[in-house]
Amino acid sequence: MFDALSVTHAALYVGAGISIGFGAIGAAVGEGFTAGAANEALSFRPEKAGDVVKNMLVGQAIAESAAIFALVISMILIFTKSPSENYLVAWKYIGAGLAMGLSAVGTGIGSGFPAAKLCLGVVRQPAYSTKLLTTTLVGSAICQTTAIYGMIIALLLLFIDNSGMSLYPGWGAVLGSGLAAGFGAIGPGIGEGIVAGNAIKSISRNPEASDVLTRTMLVGMAVTESTGVYALVIALLLIVL
Amino acid sequence: MDEITNVWQVPFSIFGYHNSFMTLNMTTLIMTWIVMGVLILFSYFATKKSGLIPHQVQVVAELLASYFYGLVIDTLDEEKAKKYFPMICTLFMFFLLCNYIGIIPMMAEPTRDLNTTLSMGVLGGIVSHYSGIRVKGIMGYLKEYFSPMWFMAPLNLIGEIAQVVSISFRLYGNILGGAIIIIILSHLTGSVFLPPFMVMFFGLFVGLVQAFVFTMLTLVYISLKVK
Repeated sequence: MFDALSVTHAALYVGAGISIGFGAIGAAVGEGFTAGAANEALSFRPEKAGDVVKNMLVGQAIAESAAIFALVISMILIFTKSPSENYLVAWKYIGAGLAMGLSAVGTGIGSGFPAAKLCLGVVRQPAYSTKLLTTTLVGSAICQTTAIYGMIIALLLLFIDNSGMSLYPGWGAVLGSGLAAGFGAIGPGIGEGIVAGNAIKSISRNPEASDVLTRTMLVGMAVTESTGVYALVIALLLIVL
Repeated sequence: MDEITNVWQVPFSIFGYHNSFMTLNMTTLIMTWIVMGVLILFSYFATKKSGLIPHQVQVVAELLASYFYGLVIDTLDEEKAKKYFPMICTLFMFFLLCNYIGIIPMMAEPTRDLNTTLSMGVLGGIVSHYSGIRVKGIMGYLKEYFSPMWFMAPLNLIGEIAQVVSISFRLYGNILGGAIIIIILSHLTGSVFLPPFMVMFFGLFVGLVQAFVFTMLTLVYISLKVK
C-alpha cells in the first residue's frame, strides 16, 4: 500500500494534475480578455469583423501555448513508466508539476493583454495592422519566456539523475526548485503583459512613434523579466547543488 | 522521449587531457552544417546573374533583405544600419532555417540544443558591448553601468547577464517544447491525424516568431549600447 513503488507512482499522477490544473488558469483568463476586447473592437467598426477575428485567433493561439506546455508536462508525467524505489523521485515529480503549472499562470494572463490591445488597435488604425501584429507577436512571445523557464526546470527535474542526493535535505531542494520556478514566473508574466499591452495601445494611437515605442517596450520587458531570471537561477542552484 | 534526450555525442581529448565539457554533439554539428550549406547555396543562387529584372530566387532574397534593412534603419540610423544589417539578416535566416529543418523527417533542429542558442546569444552580447565601447569609448561605456545612481551597478551587471540568458533560453525552450509536443502526439495518435496540424503551429508559426524575436532583441540590445 505505502511502499516506495506505489508512492512514486501516485506522485506522477499528483504532479500531472497540478501541472495542467494550474496551467489552465492563466491561458483561459488571457484568452477571455482578448475575446472581450475583440467584441468591443467590433462595436466601433463592424465591417472589419474578418480582420479582428483573425488577429484575435492569432493572439489567443500565442496566449495558449503556455497551457499547452503544461499539458505536455502532464502527459509526460502520466506516461512515464519508471517509478523507482527512491522517495526523492516522488518529490521531483511533484516539483516538476508545480514548476510548469504555476509558471503558466502569469504568462497566460500576460499574453492576453497585448492580444486584446491588438484587436482594438486594428480597428483604430487599419492601415498599420501588419506593424501592430508583428509587435504583438514579439511582445506576446517575450511574455512566454518565464513559462519556458518553468518548463526547462520541470524537464530537468524529470530527467536529471541526482540519485546521489540524500532524501532529507533533497526533497526540500527539488520541491523548492519547483516552487521557485513556478511562483517566480507569475509576476514577470503579468507584468510583461501590461508593458506589451500598453505599448500596442500607444502604437495604435501614434503609429509614427512606433520604433521608439517598440524599443522602450522591449527594454521595459527585459527589466521586468529580471526577477524571473533570479527565480530561474535559484531553481537551477537548488537542483544542481 | 528517448529521441529527444539522447544526442549523438563524441568525446574528444587534447594531448590526453579530457573532461566532461570536451564533447561534440554530432547531431547539432551536422544539422548546423546542413543549414549553413543551404544558406550559402541560397545566397549563391540569389546573387548569381542578378539584374534589374529579378529572377525567382532573387525576388525572395530582395524581399527579405529589404524588410530587414527597413527594420535596422528604424532601430539604428542610416549610417550604422549599413554596418549591422548583414549580421541581423543572417541571424534571422540562420535561425529560421534551424527552426524549420526539424519539419523534415530524420532531421533535428540545431536550436533544440542549448549550445547553439547560448553561443548565438553570447555572440550578440559581445557584438553589442564591443560596439558600445567603439562608439562611446571605454569610460563612457563604463559610466553606463553607474547610471542613474552608482549603487545600481550590481543590478545593471545582472541585467546584462539576464539579457543573454533570457534570449537564448527562450528560443531553446520553445523549440524543444514544440519538438516534444509533436513526438508525444505522434505516439498517441500513431502519427495519423493530428501531427501535421501541430507541425504547422509549433514548427512553422512558433519557429518564425521565435527567430524574429531573437533577431529583433539582438538588434535592440545593440541599439541600446550605441545610442
